[in-house]
Amino acid sequence: MTATSIRPDSRPASRQTRRKTAGLRRERFWARLATGLLIAVVFLGPVLYVVMISFESPAHFLRSPMNPPTSAHLSNFSQAWTGADLARELVNTVIYSVVGSALSTALALLIAFPLARRLVRGHRPLYTLLVVGLFLPLAYIPLFIEARDLHLYNDLAGYILLHVEPGMPLGVVLLYAFILAVPTELDEAAWLDGTGYLAYLLRVIVPLTRPALLISFLYGMLQVWNDIIGPVVLLAGTSPNLFPVTRGIFNFYGQNESAYTVFAAAVVIASLPLVILFAATQRQLVRASIAGSVKN
Amino acid sequence: MWSGILVGLAVYALFGLVPAVANTVVSFTNYALYPGAPVNFTGFSNYTAMFTSERSGFLQALVATVVFVTAVTVAQNVIALAVAHRLVADSRWNSLLRVLVFLPIVLGVTIVGLVWILIFEPGQGPAASLWGLFGAQSAFFGSAGLAMPLVILVQVWQNVGFSALVFIGGLTAISPEIYQAASIDGVTRWRRLSRITFPLLAPAITVNVLLAVVGSFTTYNLIYVLTAGQNGTMTLGMLSFTAAFTDSNLGYGAAIGTVLFLMTLIVALPLMMLLRRREARLLT
Repeated sequence: MTATSIRPDSRPASRQTRRKTAGLRRERFWARLATGLLIAVVFLGPVLYVVMISFESPAHFLRSPMNPPTSAHLSNFSQAWTGADLARELVNTVIYSVVGSALSTALALLIAFPLARRLVRGHRPLYTLLVVGLFLPLAYIPLFIEARDLHLYNDLAGYILLHVEPGMPLGVVLLYAFILAVPTELDEAAWLDGTGYLAYLLRVIVPLTRPALLISFLYGMLQVWNDIIGPVVLLAGTSPNLFPVTRGIFNFYGQNESAYTVFAAAVVIASLPLVILFAATQRQLVRASIAGSVKN
Repeated sequence: MWSGILVGLAVYALFGLVPAVANTVVSFTNYALYPGAPVNFTGFSNYTAMFTSERSGFLQALVATVVFVTAVTVAQNVIALAVAHRLVADSRWNSLLRVLVFLPIVLGVTIVGLVWILIFEPGQGPAASLWGLFGAQSAFFGSAGLAMPLVILVQVWQNVGFSALVFIGGLTAISPEIYQAASIDGVTRWRRLSRITFPLLAPAITVNVLLAVVGSFTTYNLIYVLTAGQNGTMTLGMLSFTAAFTDSNLGYGAAIGTVLFLMTLIVALPLMMLLRRREARLLT
């Protein structure tokens, strides 16, 4: 402040230069508005188009797809709901992703705590081994052979079990860092009180590491929810009652390639839960992604 | 306590470590998709088969992979840098735009792929109308010339938000005092960008370039949704999947997967060292 005020060029601006900077500022304002709009159109435009045509009647779509519909044609949604069997598929997806990711996060906690507290011999190499997991490629071919030989193929419980591992390494890394910040005095106090191991984890560690648990859970859940290769490789085409919504709507597209408005409605319904979840947790998710990138 | 660790490690080993290692083992066998077929070790025959005429797709897939990885890495980072530069300032509009840019990651490859299939639907889609204005016509994902550029476009659209967030993190970490000092010294905007922002962003660039390279080498789920590898979009990842699960030749698919993994290492490790050395040079 003082350093700038002694500089000769910082005396009160003349009217001319003030007008010049005002012009520059206005120019910059329009440039920022234009680039902001461009970003919004590029990222929201395609999604909005699909939402729009999901409300168009097939006749309207054939005539002028780009004109917004004058009245909402809701039968697309009911047709998509029954035709693509969306209710069952959404329930499947919720079961797979919530149970799979909850198990993954719980196991990550059960590993991260003793490693962070150095309660087991070889905690350092074990931790390294789990970090390696962040870089391992998802090998679907051996995973398929394992699934087949262990009778996990085309099986609800098996499908969940096969989706526990992918979220674990990130969960361990996040929880490990959070547990290090929990003072060990708390462990000792619980030890003196005679609190059991699991009770201590649940009552003390879980509340104190809630952000890490939430990030680990959300990240894992999103991975399972959006998986498309897994449902193709690990579930048989003959049992559509096990399909999650990704494979469900992908198949629905293959079967109804010309019913675009109904198909768009199916896409809208299938993505709605994610959009709502995202709206509720966007701050944590965005943070999770940055955490996920730092690990690399 | 021990039971918790052991259960966790067992799951991790069984479904994470073992498959990653077993892929190479499978690549030396004639494992077939359907159970019951005899399994034999066949040496390097799956590897030599890549270069014989009966499986001619390998070299084409190699070229397609190089094109895909190069284009995605460059485009994704350049666009992400521009987006991050625009959205780094904290304002209500910017935080809304950041959420929008991140939306494709949440929607996932299936929804994203299907949205773009609708955009590039050759009959009624908006892209077709736009082409129509110029009297042109295209099958888009069904066209041999356009399918690959479009797949690259969608891949970048899907992942650019993530790279942009990493760049925003890197930009926010640059101390505002440096910019203040620069503006006092009358440094021009271009020099400020090239002499301050770009060098100090080096760690974020390292992370983003590596993520884009490794990510685009190994992913094929978007290609599976968009084209299933048709019309020149058969990358090595997609070819490995197709060989295993469409042509029921798990051994050959695993061999391509192993080659892909080695290629990723051969490209990513020296690249990482190069970028780290660049970081060290720029930051001192």
